Amino acid sequence: MKMEHIERPELLIIGGGPAGLSAAIVASNHGVRTLLVDEGVKLGGQLVKQTHKFFGDEEFYASKRGFEIADILVDEVKRSPNVLTLTQTSVIGIYEDAVGVYDRTKEKVFSILPGYILVAAGASERFLSFPGNDLPGIYGAGAVQTLVNQYGVLPGKRFLIVGSGNIGLILAYQLYQAGADVVAIVEITDRIGGYEVHAAKVKRLGIPVLTNHTLVRAIGQERVRGAVIAKVDEHYSPIPSTERELVVDVICLAVGLVPSVELVMQAGAELIYVNELGGYVPRRDFRMRTTVDNLFVAGDLAGIEEATTAMIEGKIAALTIVEELRNLDLSEEIERLQKKLSIFRSGPTSEKVRRGLEKMGIHYEGVSFQNVKQTPGLEHKLKPVIECFQPIPCNPCETSCPTGAIVVGDNINNPPKIDYEKCTGCGICAISCPGLAIFMIQEDYTGNRSLIGVPYEFLPLPQKGDVVLALDRDGNIVSNAVVEKVIKSKNLTNLVYISIDRDLAHSVRQIVMPESKPASYVCRCEDVTVEDVMRAIDAGFTDYEELRRYLRIGMGPCGGRTCSSLALNLLTRKTGRSPYELRPQISRPPIFPVPFASLKGGEEDEG
Amino acid sequence: MRDKSIVIIGGGIIGASIAYHLAIMGAKNVVLFEKNYVSSGATGRCGGGIRQQWSARGNVRLAMRSVRKFETFKQELGWDIEYRQGGYLLLAYTEEEAESFENNVKMQREEGLHVEILTPESIKRRFPYVNTTGVLLGTFCPTDGHANPHLANFAYIQRARELGVEVYTHTEVTVVETSSNRVTGIQTKRGYLKCDVLVNASGAWSKDVANMAGSDLPTESYRHQILVTEPVENFMTPLIMSFSKNFYIRQTLHGSFLMGQGDPDEKPGINYRTTLRFEKEIATKLTTVLPFLRNMRIVRHWSGHYNMSPDAQPIIGRDRNVENLFHAVGFSGHGFMLAPAVGEALAEMILTGKTSHIDLSDFDMNRFERKLVKEKNVV
Amino acid sequence: MRIENHPILRFSRARRFVFFFENQPVEAFEGETIAAALIANGIDTFRLSLRHKRPRGLFCAIGKCSSCLVEVDGKPNVRACLTLAREGMRVRLQKNRGVVGVEDGAH
Ligand SMILES: Cc1cc2nc3c(=O)[nH]c(=O)nc-3n(C[C@H](O)[C@H](O)[C@H](O)COP(=O)(O)OP(=O)(O)OC[C@H]3O[C@@H](n4cnc5c(N)ncnc54)[C@H](O)[C@@H]3O)c2cc1C
Ligand SMILES: Cc1cc2nc3c(=O)[nH]c(=O)nc-3n(C[C@H](O)[C@H](O)[C@H](O)COP(=O)(O)OP(=O)(O)OC[C@H]3O[C@@H](n4cnc5c(N)ncnc54)[C@H](O)[C@@H]3O)c2cc1C
Ligand code: SF4
Ligand code: SF4
Repeated sequence: MKMEHIERPELLIIGGGPAGLSAAIVASNHGVRTLLVDEGVKLGGQLVKQTHKFFGDEEFYASKRGFEIADILVDEVKRSPNVLTLTQTSVIGIYEDAVGVYDRTKEKVFSILPGYILVAAGASERFLSFPGNDLPGIYGAGAVQTLVNQYGVLPGKRFLIVGSGNIGLILAYQLYQAGADVVAIVEITDRIGGYEVHAAKVKRLGIPVLTNHTLVRAIGQERVRGAVIAKVDEHYSPIPSTERELVVDVICLAVGLVPSVELVMQAGAELIYVNELGGYVPRRDFRMRTTVDNLFVAGDLAGIEEATTAMIEGKIAALTIVEELRNLDLSEEIERLQKKLSIFRSGPTSEKVRRGLEKMGIHYEGVSFQNVKQTPGLEHKLKPVIECFQPIPCNPCETSCPTGAIVVGDNINNPPKIDYEKCTGCGICAISCPGLAIFMIQEDYTGNRSLIGVPYEFLPLPQKGDVVLALDRDGNIVSNAVVEKVIKSKNLTNLVYISIDRDLAHSVRQIVMPESKPASYVCRCEDVTVEDVMRAIDAGFTDYEELRRYLRIGMGPCGGRTCSSLALNLLTRKTGRSPYELRPQISRPPIFPVPFASLKGGEEDEG
Repeated sequence: MRDKSIVIIGGGIIGASIAYHLAIMGAKNVVLFEKNYVSSGATGRCGGGIRQQWSARGNVRLAMRSVRKFETFKQELGWDIEYRQGGYLLLAYTEEEAESFENNVKMQREEGLHVEILTPESIKRRFPYVNTTGVLLGTFCPTDGHANPHLANFAYIQRARELGVEVYTHTEVTVVETSSNRVTGIQTKRGYLKCDVLVNASGAWSKDVANMAGSDLPTESYRHQILVTEPVENFMTPLIMSFSKNFYIRQTLHGSFLMGQGDPDEKPGINYRTTLRFEKEIATKLTTVLPFLRNMRIVRHWSGHYNMSPDAQPIIGRDRNVENLFHAVGFSGHGFMLAPAVGEALAEMILTGKTSHIDLSDFDMNRFERKLVKEKNVV
Repeated sequence: MRIENHPILRFSRARRFVFFFENQPVEAFEGETIAAALIANGIDTFRLSLRHKRPRGLFCAIGKCSSCLVEVDGKPNVRACLTLAREGMRVRLQKNRGVVGVEDGAH
């Protein structure tokens, strides 16, 4: 019976984080023979490493500490008769004939033939290129959390954290709890990325969060002995005169997460690039079903978000699978969970996730929904898009428009309204707006490119033909852009028109001049540096797949986890082709290197 | 002839080699279309082995000419393609196989190839990591070897570009226009292009391209899987292969081991997925022949396609229905190694109507009406 | 450095034993990975990189990055972050691609 359960489960859940565990509980409560596989020593995913109290919804254990939530979920799973869990077991691939599973403790690879698969494998960490980025003493934030919170081992005494998202902020707090010094958190943009409350907690401890700062290089020959940081200018380039040295022995990179999509890719599910959700994510519907019929996803893998949403998504996926397996109607419960999700996602901090999901045709209403409406029927026309929604006493847009196309009305506090019939596309309003909230846009420019006019008040002013970096509303570099024309203005608000991939017309809102990056490592397995990549691009390897094969990026034992997003980034910067165009690298099994000994036949014949 | 407009379909090693050879022979007006990226087809997925020990004489000749050209590749093109002549060690496990090996060696020696016949004891002495249990004899040709297929493919393409060939990637040829048994032009998403000569180097898609041009080919494509390990320090110089045990394995200069096998149950068609069964079978088989593999790890596994003709030998030359259409297809599992000689011969054929090193009549498409000489030395 | 007192977490360190890194004894506790034990003892260079021979240590801690490969009892390419330390095991800095024991083939 047990063998049958392992080899032919009705539902295979890959990943035992909050998403996978919640799904397992739901499925087993409905009597579905479920197998849950996780490669960690303990179940719980990201939760086991979190010592802080979680936000969210009471129903989903808000205000409990992360590892406590894991314990509750794991207990419930353990009590259920229909779930079997395997830990220290990696799913190495979704093959044509079977799902391959490698048990590290037994050194054995098994084949599994599940009816349905739910992939809830979470995310992996982004890497960053800077000189010395490969030295011992430089860790991903997750690695430090594992060492500190799981093994009780501090890898150093004085820490520098790069990135002020929730992960960087929480890590700082956890290190302080463990008795280490956190010298600073550096953040390249002008604002803290994580929640204000997390930041306040860290600041109260006297840990400085240095916005507009970046890590310039690591100091040290055989390991990290220090770090050079500097302020950055408006182009995110370090200002040399502001460089200073910090004496630290550990540098933690907390620069974001990338969904672990390898397995869903292997299963043949379609991926789409959604910057707001963390990069390439599986296309999926409201019920968490991918484009492959019996393959579902949930949690960070479906889009980097929160434990609460991961749990709800896991449940929705499991309920849908139960419906199909048992021919039941569970739509009421699913509706209830959908409602929870939409309330959760309606807040301003979910704005990014909402925007991301919208790209898949999944719509969640925001409470202060930002008006980035498409303008159907007007794609061919150059016209202003006004992103001014807060009632403020202001009306230069109305008064500057020579044709009376913009109306603020009697009350100067009213947000402006535009009549595109009257608008001639002159761009005067965009130059006049003190809020720099008006952008000129023509979706259909040439081919599949759009034209965007961006108000620009920095030096140097780009020239026609320049290649510049295009940034989204959060300051993320999303692509390169070509400058098509530059309208200089007496009031010093110049309009720079760029052409950009059409998909990006409604996300790009800023440009910066590209900087030249110093030599740094892209790929650890093969020692490939940023310089190597740049040289190869110059030699004509502008196709991502050709570049990979030429330099062996992503062909090492890491399977491209550390290097492929960096390499893609460099290619985007250098060639101006957006990641939308540069199709994702194919994922090839096994996603975890497996010894031949574990694959050898013999054992199976006995069983 | 050198001003004629020549269109090549396919940016794999075969199309790239033809483009390069046309260009150095002075063709002025060559355009190559690749529907994906360079080396996206079988070339970028292959084992990179270069062998002259064949059972069919025509293949031996083509391969020997190719080896000449691989030996001078670096001087000629200025690219280091990680070429190494570490030999091929073929292992015979059955009486029948041993006998056919001895016959092959006789023919190969007639062609001037230096091949040794090794006893299990001498195999053990020279290659101590091989478990010779069950081996009856081995044949070893020291000038066989291997190279990095990506780099070889890129080298031909880059040099062709520098010599004036226009190369368009991510551009599929979707229509071939013909009139009274002649190709007149082709269509891609970039537009229409008139052409005087069309070359079909489309690998696994050879039949589709022939059909587009109003002809046909007796070819089918079959998936073949292959895997690679983590790199370790170099020590295994030859490529080791067995037909009866159905495997080949080599260590790249970079240190990793590449290996594969054929699957007699494979159905024709394009399929890029991989099977766990393949990993298990390879692991079971090869940890016996090469026990050191037990402690090594598989890092990647993928698949590509063999384009097969009825006799497992390539089809090279003029189409028999459409007079200005040329084919270089049906390369089974050995198109990479033959590419230098094939590119040279077909370029000569197109530009001058004759060839200087290779007799292409062994490979013309009319042979399927004659009696077939099947190539038996394939995995 | 091992954390002794933590406001929220408890670390059970039941059985203590010794293994060897580059022939030097290293203290470890049951349940610790090779990486955790080495780092607890202030050792953070595990290998030299392939082309440039740069020192490398732990980076991702979950077996995904290949930065922490060491040689264990003569076997190369062992992930220090996932492999539990065992009493008496001999761990060495991996200085090259790793050498596989080919004498295995001699039977
Ligand atoms: C520092 C930090 C603080 C956070 N704070 C909060 C907070 O306050 N509130 C909140 O709601 N959220 C918070 N989050 C986010 C939350 O932890 C994640 O969104 C959530 O854990 C995602 O759940 P998941 O189940 O999708 O993935 P994960 O929790 O990442 O679990 C994925 C699991 O899959 C396993 N796995 C992956 N690949 C394989 C494979 N091939 N084979 C077998 N197993 C595999 C992994 O071992 C892992 O256990 C925080 C995250 C971090 C990092
Ligand atoms: C697993 C495996 C191992 C192998 N091992 C070896 C080996 O060790 N030694 C050896 O010599 N050979 C080996 N081979 C065989 C070798 O890879 C092939 O014979 C050789 O690469 C064929 O080259 P090609 O240029 O004809 O085909 P390809 O490399 O497949 O190139 C054909 C190209 O044509 C393009 N194309 C198709 N249709 C169109 C169209 N309509 N428009 C535009 N472009 C189009 C395709 O995208 C493709 O890139 C192996 C093959 C496989 C699959
Ligand atoms: S672009 Fe010109 S016409 Fe259109 S709204 Fe602005 S000022 Fe008025
Ligand atoms: S001028 Fe700018 S800020 Fe003022 S109302 Fe118009 S768009 Fe808004």
